[in-house]
Amino acid sequence: MASIILRNASVKIPVFAVGNNSLKTTLLRKAVGGKFAQTGSNLIINALTDVSLDVRDGDRIGLVGQNGAGKTTLLRVLAGVYPPTSGQVQVIGRVSPMFDISLGMSPESTGIENIRVCGALWGLSRAEIAAGIDDIEEFTELGDYLKIPVRTYSTGMQLRLSFAIATLRQPEILLLDEIIGVGDASFMAKAKARLAKIVDRAQILVVSSHSDPIIRDLCEKVIWLDKGGIAAYGPVDDVLAAYKATV
Amino acid sequence: MAQIAVRDELTTPNPDIRRPWVSGARDLCDGLANWQLWSMLGWNDIHLRYRRSALGPFWITISMAIFIVLLGFVYAKLFHQDIAVFLPYVAMGLITWGFISGTTVEACSVFIENAGIIRQIKLPYSIYVMRMIWRGFIIFLHTVVLIVPIALFFHLKVGWSSLLAIPGMLLVVLNQIWISTIIGAVATRFRDIVQLVTTAIQILMFVTPIMWPVSAIAEARFVAEINPFFHLIQLVRAPLLGEVAEPLSWIVVLSMCIIGYGLAAITLGRAGPRLVYWL
Repeated sequence: MASIILRNASVKIPVFAVGNNSLKTTLLRKAVGGKFAQTGSNLIINALTDVSLDVRDGDRIGLVGQNGAGKTTLLRVLAGVYPPTSGQVQVIGRVSPMFDISLGMSPESTGIENIRVCGALWGLSRAEIAAGIDDIEEFTELGDYLKIPVRTYSTGMQLRLSFAIATLRQPEILLLDEIIGVGDASFMAKAKARLAKIVDRAQILVVSSHSDPIIRDLCEKVIWLDKGGIAAYGPVDDVLAAYKATV
Repeated sequence: MAQIAVRDELTTPNPDIRRPWVSGARDLCDGLANWQLWSMLGWNDIHLRYRRSALGPFWITISMAIFIVLLGFVYAKLFHQDIAVFLPYVAMGLITWGFISGTTVEACSVFIENAGIIRQIKLPYSIYVMRMIWRGFIIFLHTVVLIVPIALFFHLKVGWSSLLAIPGMLLVVLNQIWISTIIGAVATRFRDIVQLVTTAIQILMFVTPIMWPVSAIAEARFVAEINPFFHLIQLVRAPLLGEVAEPLSWIVVLSMCIIGYGLAAITLGRAGPRLVYWL
């Protein structure tokens, strides 16, 4: 059973003005009553405002909205890495947040070493990683390349490897920030099939995308985010139509 | 790992804000429980750091050895000390201090350097602290081997009581965990803390009896005794020199740990919900 509940969740991100992230200026200002060293006031970004949401088992949700509308922020809240600055969030289930699939990769390490380290970061146990190495070897078709440092790989090869590692674990809640493009056309087909497999098995999918076909393909509901709030939430066709009408 | 436990956040709004030390303590415990992850990441850091250097990790050993020998000779002359007594003293002190100073300075960037992971996967913050401390400890082990030739060469009175250095070092490590947690959180919010810490560590190296014997300031011994770092170093240095650390040193360090972990839990509990936004 996986579920996500948000109640009036807001995220305000402070952007410290020059000097305001300095202890010296902060102390000096306190010492002289705020008249000194005013280098500028802090900016606060209202990245997410009063978002309430109930996501249940089986939900397939797409996130649409313009750049800066809060899609990534919402995904980070769902991943548990952005605690709402006000409001509540409850996420139950194993989450795989695929925002940056090359998480934890180090170019100096060999492919195999990267599989171990990145796999552990993704939450896999030693046994699961050991069992997954063959699968990754077969999927990436990297062969002996896995035994040499990743810095010698081409961009496409690096992407294959990180994609394979990121998709090794089957999550209950899958969060995707844009669908990942993985190298050449023939490999792309293989990658799609692999992603589709974990998407199908995930109990909850939340995917942000600028591409209508992807949303229509993967999702049943759509959240339209605008200026950090939910502008509309409902069936794919209705919300997409409303969103397109404003763009 | 990226699993989010069921919490009662919906029924009790923001429990973390009302009782910060509880969530801070939970973070520290969760971090410790995740030892497989931080030990692996720490090992990997060491592995990478020396991947392309022929001598590998032994560079640290060599540079520490040179430092000890030079300092030992020069300062023994300066303070009119017997080299056979003074060089081992400097060696044990510097080796312990190397761990303390190294981890304290690295603590400033402990969360900043993990920003990529922190923004993507929910893990206890203390994992990053323990990864760094573990890395520092492995580096410390590279210098600890120097104790053997020094003990043999200067015929140190090493006995069973020398084993007390092990619980002593354990306390030093535990102590560095809470210090690093606090420094790491504060240094993420205030980016100039790193300069402050670096300077403080440099000054501390000279005011702490590491390169000079406490006997040099016999009439002002309290200068050493009010310095917590003196007691930290004593716990490791004294047993290795065939002496016994005074009970005062054990008391000071144990109290530091108890108070320190309380402070670290509160800091982590208060900073935790905001830390990711400071990165």
